[in-house]
Amino acid sequence: MRELRWGCMIALKDLRLELRSGSRLLAMIAFVVLSALLFSVSLNLAHLEVRGLVAGLVWLTTLFAVTAGAGRAFDTEENDGAFRHVLLTPVSRGAIFLGKTAANWVLVWFVTMLAFFALTTFMEIRSPGPLAWHGAVFLPGTIGLAVTGTFFGRVSNHSTLGDTLLPVLTFPLLVPVVFFGATATSRILLERPWLEISGPVRFLWAFAVGSAVAGTVLFRHVADE
Amino acid sequence: MTLEGRGLVCDYGATRALRGVDVSARGHEILAVFGPNAAGKSTLLRTLSGERRPDRGRVFFDGAVVSGGDPAWRARIGLVSHRTGLYGNLSVSENLRFFASLQGSPGSRAALIEVLEQVCAAEVADTRTAILSRGQRQRVALARSLLHNPEILFLDEPFTGLDPGGVADLETVLRAIRLEGKIVVLVTHDIPRGLKLADRMVVLRDGRKVLDGPTADRRVEDVVPLFGASFARDRS
Repeated sequence: MRELRWGCMIALKDLRLELRSGSRLLAMIAFVVLSALLFSVSLNLAHLEVRGLVAGLVWLTTLFAVTAGAGRAFDTEENDGAFRHVLLTPVSRGAIFLGKTAANWVLVWFVTMLAFFALTTFMEIRSPGPLAWHGAVFLPGTIGLAVTGTFFGRVSNHSTLGDTLLPVLTFPLLVPVVFFGATATSRILLERPWLEISGPVRFLWAFAVGSAVAGTVLFRHVADE
Repeated sequence: MTLEGRGLVCDYGATRALRGVDVSARGHEILAVFGPNAAGKSTLLRTLSGERRPDRGRVFFDGAVVSGGDPAWRARIGLVSHRTGLYGNLSVSENLRFFASLQGSPGSRAALIEVLEQVCAAEVADTRTAILSRGQRQRVALARSLLHNPEILFLDEPFTGLDPGGVADLETVLRAIRLEGKIVVLVTHDIPRGLKLADRMVVLRDGRKVLDGPTADRRVEDVVPLFGASFARDRS
């Protein structure tokens, strides 16, 4: 219970800081909207299977936005050395990780929704399928992205390679999330039955839960100097 | 109440920052740690606070081994460093309330104002931290370190950027903390101020302890030669 309270305090602090500065969120929004616009004008939609394409673009755009924004969750912590003082409190490393991941997840969820609506609008998909089904796919997928982005955001934050290291570490791990996420989203856009969608969703949940547990346990190894 | 480091050795890759340092600090005492740059002062402070695990040697508090991984130990210490460690886009009271909640300390407005009054910073409680002066931020950082009433206070170059008034206030607070029976470990380049404030001192050079003793009747001229010939030459 105490861990949960600590995690909530850290998440609320991160979201408050993000709302006041808007630095990461604005960068992610601009990236998503501009990417969607560029995809729509650069691809010849008449000769493409648009619904399958949009599903892949939604997940790839979100992945790149996560790398650009959510992976920088520790930048504000390091600006004036605040994270050193957070680590010196009795709060467990696991609670710190879950709090930071929760705040990151809110941003990733928002960006994913934005990517979905921007791409379906620009690509002129009139009936994208049941939104609740899309939500059921995006929920575990975005948790997996947020967990991975937060964990490796700390790793790259420590490294002299900085932002360059983040995609190198995260992209190979997130290939299955993008693959199963795009598969499930394209099947919803193609109005396939839920039975064909539930398999990829189960995988996304397995990845989300597995990565969250692993991240919580392993974070102490990357949190401290 | 005694904090002790025995045979502390710390390496950063191939560089040995501490070479078997023994050090101790007692309650009702301010221990100053002096030394030239790269002498191992901050590493010693990080090791004593448990932030860094020594490669050899151990840290004891009242005879029990200290570990930075132990939340109970972290609840007993406070830290003020030259980087204030505050969130610029939060107000002073929001910063303090956040850290109080993590420490399990009272986060009520009255409790926060009380601790800010201790460091003469109550008037900035609602100010955004980013627009405070360096000295005001340092006072708030000191208030943050006192929120949970720690038994040991570690200070790493706390006078950096403070105006004379800020320095005097900080000295007053540290003397009050000493009177409460707490341990204060002060790392500083400011030898005259350290000598005036501390009861005992340790001088480090190249990761080794070259002096450990009371500060009474010591002058700056007694300490500086211990830093090495190059430091004394630069200073002159």
